[in-house]
Amino acid sequence: MVADKIRSLLGEHGLLGIDPLGIPVAAPASDDECALLLRTASSESWTVRIEGSGTWIPRDARADLALSTMRLRGIVDLSPPDMVVTVGSGTSWTELQTSLANDRMWIPLDPPGSGRSVGSVVACATAGPLRTGFGAIRDHLLGLTLVTGDGRVVRAGGRVVKNVAGYDITKLAAGSFGAFGIITSVNLRLRAVPRADATLIARGTRDHLLDAARGILSSGYTPGALELFSPAAVAGTEWTLAVRLLGSHEAVAAERSAVGAAARMQFSSLEPSDAADFWRDTLARTTAAPSTLRLGALPSSLDEALDSIAHHLDESCDDWIAANVHAGVVRWSGDAGVNRIRLLRNVAAHSEMPLTIERGPWSVRSELGHFGAFRDGAVRLVYALRNSFDPSRTLAIPLGRES
Amino acid sequence: MNTPPISGLDPCVHCGFCLQACPTYLATGDESDSPRGRIVLMRSLARGSLSTTEPTLAFHLDRCLGCLACEPVCPSDVRYGTALEATRALIAQSRPVPLVARMVNAVMADRRLRRPLLGLARLVRPVAGVLAGQSRLGFAFGMLRATENGQRWGKQGQKTEKASLPAPSASSAPSALLFTGCIMEGLFSHVHEATHRTLSANGYRSTRVPHQGCCGALHAHTGEHDKAVDLARRNVAAFADCPESVIAVNSAGCGAMLKEYGRLLAGDPLEPEAVALSQRVRDVSQLLASRETRRGHTLALKVAYDPPCHLLHAQRIADAPRALLASIPGIEMVQHRDAAMCCGSAGSYSLTQVGLSRTVLEDKVNALIAADPDVVATGNPGCIMQIGAGLAAVGSSIPVVHPIEILDWSYAMAGFYDE
Amino acid sequence: MIPPEVLAALKAAVGPQWVKDARAELDTYATDGLPTHRSLPGAAVIPGRKDELLQVIRILHHHRIPAVARGAGTGLSGGALASGDAVLVVLTRLNRILKIDAENRRAVVEPGVVNTRLSAAAEPFGLHYAPDPSSQPACTIGGNVAENAGGPHCLKYGVTTNHILALDVVLPDGELLSLGSPSGEPWGPDLVGLFVGSEGTFGIATEITVKLTPTPTAIRTLLADFTLLRSAGQAVTSIIAAGFVPAALEILDHNTIAAVEASIYRAGYPTDAGAVLLVELDGMDELAVEAEASQVEDLLESAGARSIQLASDPAKREKLWHGRKKAFGAMGRLGSDLVVQDAVVPRSKLPDVLDQIGEIGERYSISLCNVFHAGDGNLHPNIAFDQTDPDLAERVRRASTDIVRLCIEAGGTITGEHGVGTDKMHYMPLVYDADTLGAMNRIRHVFDPLELANPGKVLPVHSCRG
Ligand SMILES: Cc1cc2nc3c(=O)[nH]c(=O)nc-3n(C[C@H](O)[C@H](O)[C@H](O)COP(=O)(O)OP(=O)(O)OC[C@H]3O[C@@H](n4cnc5c(N)ncnc54)[C@H](O)[C@@H]3O)c2cc1C
Ligand code: SF4
Ligand code: SF4
Repeated sequence: MVADKIRSLLGEHGLLGIDPLGIPVAAPASDDECALLLRTASSESWTVRIEGSGTWIPRDARADLALSTMRLRGIVDLSPPDMVVTVGSGTSWTELQTSLANDRMWIPLDPPGSGRSVGSVVACATAGPLRTGFGAIRDHLLGLTLVTGDGRVVRAGGRVVKNVAGYDITKLAAGSFGAFGIITSVNLRLRAVPRADATLIARGTRDHLLDAARGILSSGYTPGALELFSPAAVAGTEWTLAVRLLGSHEAVAAERSAVGAAARMQFSSLEPSDAADFWRDTLARTTAAPSTLRLGALPSSLDEALDSIAHHLDESCDDWIAANVHAGVVRWSGDAGVNRIRLLRNVAAHSEMPLTIERGPWSVRSELGHFGAFRDGAVRLVYALRNSFDPSRTLAIPLGRES
Repeated sequence: MNTPPISGLDPCVHCGFCLQACPTYLATGDESDSPRGRIVLMRSLARGSLSTTEPTLAFHLDRCLGCLACEPVCPSDVRYGTALEATRALIAQSRPVPLVARMVNAVMADRRLRRPLLGLARLVRPVAGVLAGQSRLGFAFGMLRATENGQRWGKQGQKTEKASLPAPSASSAPSALLFTGCIMEGLFSHVHEATHRTLSANGYRSTRVPHQGCCGALHAHTGEHDKAVDLARRNVAAFADCPESVIAVNSAGCGAMLKEYGRLLAGDPLEPEAVALSQRVRDVSQLLASRETRRGHTLALKVAYDPPCHLLHAQRIADAPRALLASIPGIEMVQHRDAAMCCGSAGSYSLTQVGLSRTVLEDKVNALIAADPDVVATGNPGCIMQIGAGLAAVGSSIPVVHPIEILDWSYAMAGFYDE
Repeated sequence: MIPPEVLAALKAAVGPQWVKDARAELDTYATDGLPTHRSLPGAAVIPGRKDELLQVIRILHHHRIPAVARGAGTGLSGGALASGDAVLVVLTRLNRILKIDAENRRAVVEPGVVNTRLSAAAEPFGLHYAPDPSSQPACTIGGNVAENAGGPHCLKYGVTTNHILALDVVLPDGELLSLGSPSGEPWGPDLVGLFVGSEGTFGIATEITVKLTPTPTAIRTLLADFTLLRSAGQAVTSIIAAGFVPAALEILDHNTIAAVEASIYRAGYPTDAGAVLLVELDGMDELAVEAEASQVEDLLESAGARSIQLASDPAKREKLWHGRKKAFGAMGRLGSDLVVQDAVVPRSKLPDVLDQIGEIGERYSISLCNVFHAGDGNLHPNIAFDQTDPDLAERVRRASTDIVRLCIEAGGTITGEHGVGTDKMHYMPLVYDADTLGAMNRIRHVFDPLELANPGKVLPVHSCRG
């Protein structure tokens, strides 16, 4: 019945098929089609699941309709002299970077996972190790198009690097897991590919490496990446500190010696191709386990955050863990039940550390919500905001522990 | 009574660069206590959209220290000081100048009143240190104590104080006429003597002209425009006899005022002489630093230099006093925070705006105590008294002196005066 | 008019001397940094502590009286103006730096802390607060947050929003909320990001957690002068395309140079140049920065620079910069009133847009000064004029509108850092369609259902549906 309606609205090509859960999957090809679908869904009281390439969050949410960004693919507008790209949210992240590289440009952002869509990276705000030198998703976004839960097309921000006209809906939408609407395209700020790119690796105990990393930061240098990985993350036996230096040849050379001196330990340098493999493989291993969590700590409280994770989730010390020493963010991937995660979330909240469920099976997401430890007042605001974008709760996104 | 027009404010673009330079704004955070806010008030007065009787208008203008810290930071070259004087003169027409200020002004302007009163003060001075304190009266004693000859390191100086001074070395030596002023003459004669000695030791022929008197700054700043004009005319006449010599001033407030005589006497028959006088005025530190300052005996002292507003902001003389102090062997200059900020003295301000003056002073005293110098140097009598009293009030024994005094000690120890 | 009982309650809350309601005092609060707009507030209140601020907001909410936050009042869009039925809440006394956490490169401040004072406090730790609006010696961090202020060095380091980690805010109904966490990771959707740039219409930031950035130890400032403004614009494009990320890229045009050189902030800019371009390169290593500087020098030369000065010592660099930072004030000398534009265009369009702006100036016979953050494409065409000449004022108004339209047509926007305020509100429908404005309006109502926080700013009333 839902499927018929989709066909009548978008034509035969608009319906991709019926998924294993029996849910019809629609693939709008434009903002307007997307808006039409959501308006219909909202007036018909359907619930809608949003899906990209399905490599990050599984396609397991119960809903009346699945809305895929598959056909919102490709670069809409690329302006090399302005270093801005507008890209459909269904575009593959890797393909986007590959095609930018032709113009010697890139987005200095390395989200974990593999085969992800741009929409998924933005909606889940999954920044990787390069966050140290270049910031989180929010720092790369200039604007986006959001089709709200009630089917309006909101064009937030713009294509220029500075813009303070009106409210920053771009930031609200990025990292809200689609709870306010479907991101159909995004405008991203580009950079020239740095002329030099070096990766240094050191192995040792967690505490030792953490101290070394802090030593680097207190020297005043901020590398492109400064990430501490668990043994499982690098498929090895020891903890690993990986440092990525980017910039001019002179700057990278200078930083290389400064880093060694500040950390007071020996680093080995990876060959360029090994370095690329190292980062790609390590980040791809995130999705080997069913759930991924992100814990916001301070650089000085990373030990506490890592201890809590070890204590609550990783007793056997074989999970994928990455700690961004500069931002103070820890990411964990593994398999843990709802109760253990909930307990960790509560413990962390007491130390002012938010715990976000970045991905996981529907059972975990629906039970715990992606967020779920909002401060009291903020809960009201978040739901009121969602209500203003999606008044009939069309989008089946479990934001928090409401309901 | 004449009042000059309020002018010089048009270029103000309301940018706010002057805000953080203003001691009263820093003390209250109130736009009405800021230069930019006061400019709005003055413009409204000039335009006639507010009158001098408007409640709180005079209140906020009275609270201005006149320190002119707002002028050098202004990118639009707004003439705040000029406009303020004109405004105060206008306000004085509709409301009497505060009684304390009038009394001070009257005493300073008139030698017949000044002499006996300041003489009395000198009599009390030896015990002032004991009576100095936090209270209003205690503070007054603190100020008085600060006017004492700060000869702690200048024993030899004392010895030579009455010694006869060397005659001008050669007739070709430049001559400098000392401006004696009012309070400087009454309570800081030791600074005058030190000025005379150090100038002479550096090859100046230092002399005084008769019939000079108070510069009129206190009067101009409190709105007694006509009185200020009278005093200016008297000084212009007194100095007109020796038109070739520079005028050496050791009080920053007087120096700033003398440099304004040309403007003050605009339209007056004496205007040309006034303009000429303004151009002849030099701060004593400039006279000494403009040549290779003679090096005296080593003085192992940590000195904090606190620039008087009327030297730093009004006359824009920043380096000369520092250079002069730094030329003394052994001196270590220590920096204190916010040195360029006013100490809250500002002529009779410390008497008319006691609360705000003390708030401003508190920051200064804290900064100085944190820097922990052996001695504080500042080239203006009001500042010496204000900072001296402020330090005494919190039980600090750090002396406050004129920079020239320190140079004088060093010269005395070097035996320059025994030659 | 503010009812007497409200004034009494406010006085009881903050002390009588901190409630201003006399005409003369209110006069000084009638404008912010853009004196072409004026509005006399009903009263101004200057709370000294956070709890006093909360009380003030609660009293005003109880009586349904609008509150307008004000920092240093240096805003350039008429944002901190209150009408006679509203109360200005002045935050200058909430100026304590609560914490400098050097290890985590963070600081926590009250909203009234002045931008440069924060950097000064961080300096002993080798850190600074990176966003540096030209008004930084005067403006407050709270005002920066509200406007999402930018500055010359934001090209490399990012604007205010990239440096705000967490906020305590008091909503218009008096509720106090904490947004964001000390780490900067949000507890939910990015409410900190949403609040930054909301121009005081969502409530008042009462406590701000900011990032501190290591202060670069090696800096080179280059000053190139060009016969044509256009060539300076082209130089900018070529520097960025070559992969350099200069800390700053700033252009001053001929008229601006003239104004600066005539003020006390003389920087030694050649007064016969069509434009000067300031380039700053920084890093932690002398040799590396030196090498970059010489490569940039080559680029400047091939772009047609007439002369290039390179400054490495702090005094000389400071001098080159001073003129830029004080340019706006220096323009005060050119006319009694000043229109300050803040449009943004895609960088590659700079040369064309600059030419067209020049034509607009000629068409209306007005004198235009261009001073701008060229690396971001953020233009500040400023017009000095005399408001008492009605014909001139009208020409200035039309020229401004033409400039704004031109920039929007070039793919840009109406404000890059000064905010919408009252000044640019009527341009909002030119950049956003009704659905987008409607979404903004609904967001505003979530924070402020009764429209008590800085009403009448940012969003034009009629164009918003929903
Ligand atoms: C000479 C000059 C140069 C300038 N250069 C730049 C520049 O380079 N870059 C730039 O971005 N801007 C610049 N500006 C504009 C201005 O300085 C900034 O917008 C600054 O952020 C304003 O800060 P303020 O404290 O003066 O705020 P105000 O002007 O007092 O207020 C601005 C807005 O913020 C709101 N507000 C203030 N405090 C709070 C708070 N705590 N919580 C919520 N809302 C609040 C007010 O309601 C108002 O809407 C310049 C201004 C001048 C005069
Ligand atoms: S700095 Fe000058 S132009 Fe700016 S507000 Fe102050 S007086 Fe006016
Ligand atoms: S003269 Fe001093 S006190 Fe008066 S407004 Fe200027 S800076 Fe403030």
